[in-house]
Amino acid sequence: MTNIKILGVIIGTLAIYTWIANAIPQLESVVPEELSFSSDVSEAELVAAGAELYNGGAGCTTCHGLETRAPNLVTGYSGEGPIGTRCGTRVPGQDCKAYLHESMMNPMAYVVEGGFDPMVFQARVFSGVQIWALVAFLQDQGGVVTVTGAEVAAAAEADATAPAAGPAVASTDPLEIMRGNLCLACHMLDGEGAELAPPFDGMGSRIDTDRIRRGIIDPGAEIAEGFDHLAGSMPPTIPDLLTARQLEVLVDFLAGQGG
Amino acid sequence: MLERGRWSWLRTILPVGVVVAIGLLAIAMEPLAAQSYTPREYGDFPVIGSRAAIWIAAQLHLFFAAFVLGVPMFAVVAEAIGIFSSEERYDKLAKEFTRLLLVSYSATAIWGAILVFGLITLYPGLWGYLAEIFAPSMWVYVGIFFFESFTLYLYYYGWDRWKKGRAKWGHWGLGILLNVWGTAVMLIANSWLTYMMSPPGEVTPDTAPEMVQFWSAFANATWMPINIHRFIANIVFGGAIVGAYSAYRFLSAKTDEERAHYDWMGYIGNFVAISALIVLPFAGYWLGREIYEYNQQMGTTMMGGFMSWLWVVQAFLIAVLFLAGNYYLWVGMGRIPGAERFMPYTKWMLLVLLIGAAVWATPRNMIANRAEITAMGGQFHPFLGVLGVMSAKNTAVNLMILTTFLSFLLYRRANKKAVVSWEKRGTTIQGALFIIAAAVVLFYGVYGYFVPSIVRIGFSVYQVLAVIAAIILVVLIDIGMMRGAKSRGEIRWGEMPERSQYALFILAVTFTWLMGLMGFARSGIRQHWHVFEVVRDTSVDAATPALGYASIVISACVLIFLSMVTFIFWVGGLAEKPVISGVGAGAAVSAPAVMDQEL
Repeated sequence: MTNIKILGVIIGTLAIYTWIANAIPQLESVVPEELSFSSDVSEAELVAAGAELYNGGAGCTTCHGLETRAPNLVTGYSGEGPIGTRCGTRVPGQDCKAYLHESMMNPMAYVVEGGFDPMVFQARVFSGVQIWALVAFLQDQGGVVTVTGAEVAAAAEADATAPAAGPAVASTDPLEIMRGNLCLACHMLDGEGAELAPPFDGMGSRIDTDRIRRGIIDPGAEIAEGFDHLAGSMPPTIPDLLTARQLEVLVDFLAGQGG
Repeated sequence: MLERGRWSWLRTILPVGVVVAIGLLAIAMEPLAAQSYTPREYGDFPVIGSRAAIWIAAQLHLFFAAFVLGVPMFAVVAEAIGIFSSEERYDKLAKEFTRLLLVSYSATAIWGAILVFGLITLYPGLWGYLAEIFAPSMWVYVGIFFFESFTLYLYYYGWDRWKKGRAKWGHWGLGILLNVWGTAVMLIANSWLTYMMSPPGEVTPDTAPEMVQFWSAFANATWMPINIHRFIANIVFGGAIVGAYSAYRFLSAKTDEERAHYDWMGYIGNFVAISALIVLPFAGYWLGREIYEYNQQMGTTMMGGFMSWLWVVQAFLIAVLFLAGNYYLWVGMGRIPGAERFMPYTKWMLLVLLIGAAVWATPRNMIANRAEITAMGGQFHPFLGVLGVMSAKNTAVNLMILTTFLSFLLYRRANKKAVVSWEKRGTTIQGALFIIAAAVVLFYGVYGYFVPSIVRIGFSVYQVLAVIAAIILVVLIDIGMMRGAKSRGEIRWGEMPERSQYALFILAVTFTWLMGLMGFARSGIRQHWHVFEVVRDTSVDAATPALGYASIVISACVLIFLSMVTFIFWVGGLAEKPVISGVGAGAAVSAPAVMDQEL
């Protein structure tokens, strides 16, 4: 009898846990669908593909479905309506399509005010076509889809011919290197850029040359004081996007930025 | 010999025929020779599929590994207590722990072999990639495993031979060595799995595995947090399984003496498990923080993405652990003279635990239909939605930890009467430390609502430090205060209601299930990557399954594990009857001596 009671307790406990786990919402992490569109892709196809990515493999709803983490893009935010109705007015002089595309390619560029965290979307693991599909879907939320087949086809060609890794820009001019690698999306230099990460102004007087080099090669190794909350934000792929010469140009330039 | 004339034509034709045959064979073989061997990326496993097969093998290997790593830790501590206190029952207890260990060891190795062969045959591409990077550590691993096995044999079979004098110290040294080998094995294996979670930033999909720097891959971002988390979790797990073993023996005991022994053993198992459980969430916070710092998207997926509901289930499981552990202690106080003065407090402690469990298990998003959402005024419940965020949950679990620690403290002091002059002042300071720690926890819990999540997650560190500091200081004061304390009576070992033993079974099942669930969480946050953002999973099982499916696999693993453990313990019992220690029923052991050594 004792053995039966023990078995009953064990099986019963397991059954309760299994039941609870099956009673809650069943969320599966789906694999982002590979897209192969050409220039004759229809608007409906793009929007549908974008919707699937947005609600599934791209993981957008993790934050944009919860208003505490990021603005809700589909149902509206702060009485402003869905993203398609407001994306064209977010940045003066920038249309909706450009704004949305830039927001994804450079997530730190436009952090909405209101205590939100910087966007953690990793554009580098998505193809150019997938990004355009997401843009089309977001435009469709109350707005007009202006993504063209030509843009999609160009992105598809770029995806197909993109080198496995290599410099983002060919220039050896430090400013062009920084602009081409989106460094100024977070760092400020002579009034250009953003104030999210430590400014490039005066960097040479704050840290030595080796520390600057280490900061580029291994961004997560040492975090500047007061910027702990941004740990992990600087893309670790930066060193893969620079040539050895560009790296040294950049290090020399930043080391020369005195007070 | 061929006959000349009649068979002479054959002599001519035969060489020609052989040449032609060889030529034809060569032509036939040519396409085969031209085909170069291309290794396949994935294999198939019948009925349950490759993913489930590897999952089950890995999980069972880990269950057994956790047990054989956790038990030596407190076996060696129990042996040390026996040496220093000259109480032989601790030595016997340590030996009985080791006997359980011995028979579990081969099961660990068998499941390890099944896992490796499973990886080689079902995931050869991934296995080849990992082997390319980690080959040297794999050789070291098997070498250490070899030494560990033979150290264990020496430790167990030499127990009675090296029982006295300096030989006993040598034997204890073997126990320590066993733990060193076991920990080294764990550290190596952890590096492989944590690399899959958090490969170094310089490793990209285009990095050839032979170009990955070994140490950079080995000591990756989540390696040390996982090491610490697993080290503590193994102690919890070992304690829980020993507790269940003792409960089984207690329930089937034929004599009072046997019942007293297994009551005591069960208490030790529960004490070890709950003590380690108290510090386990702190290691969990660190791991979570490192995951966030490594990759914020991974952290967000873990806490707010498709896995967000997993933490509601985890909260329920941990609530069960705290409630069952405390319940066992409170019931156990019934056999301690003097404990009745603390019993009125238990209902308040229960209230804190229940409120804490309710807050921790509150989901952020309610399951609601359209009408209910309208009635709530939005997706989030105006009151419950506030309790569903990490600020509230961290606060709840820290207060639950403090409450459980208070239960232990009351249990420890139950039959003691302090004789030091500063007893009243000491108790007041202890009370103040509890209140200060609770206040710090509550302050950061509320403040956390007003800052971004990356800042908020850092607050958990301050909450944890306040609780740890309080625990350490209270224990230090208590040790001083109870020095030379008078006994209010002896613990009546064995006089424990049967229902308390079922709490030990629930603890063991819940720990085991929770371990499986956390394994799913750790592995699942990689999503469709074998190695996060480096090696993509292109198999048919690339999508990470929902919790319902995972729970079925976990339950199956727990059931297989417990069945095998039962069988192994039964087989072990056939070979040698356990030695019943001198913990007599109604008990010849003075509680202060026992508790001083145990806490």
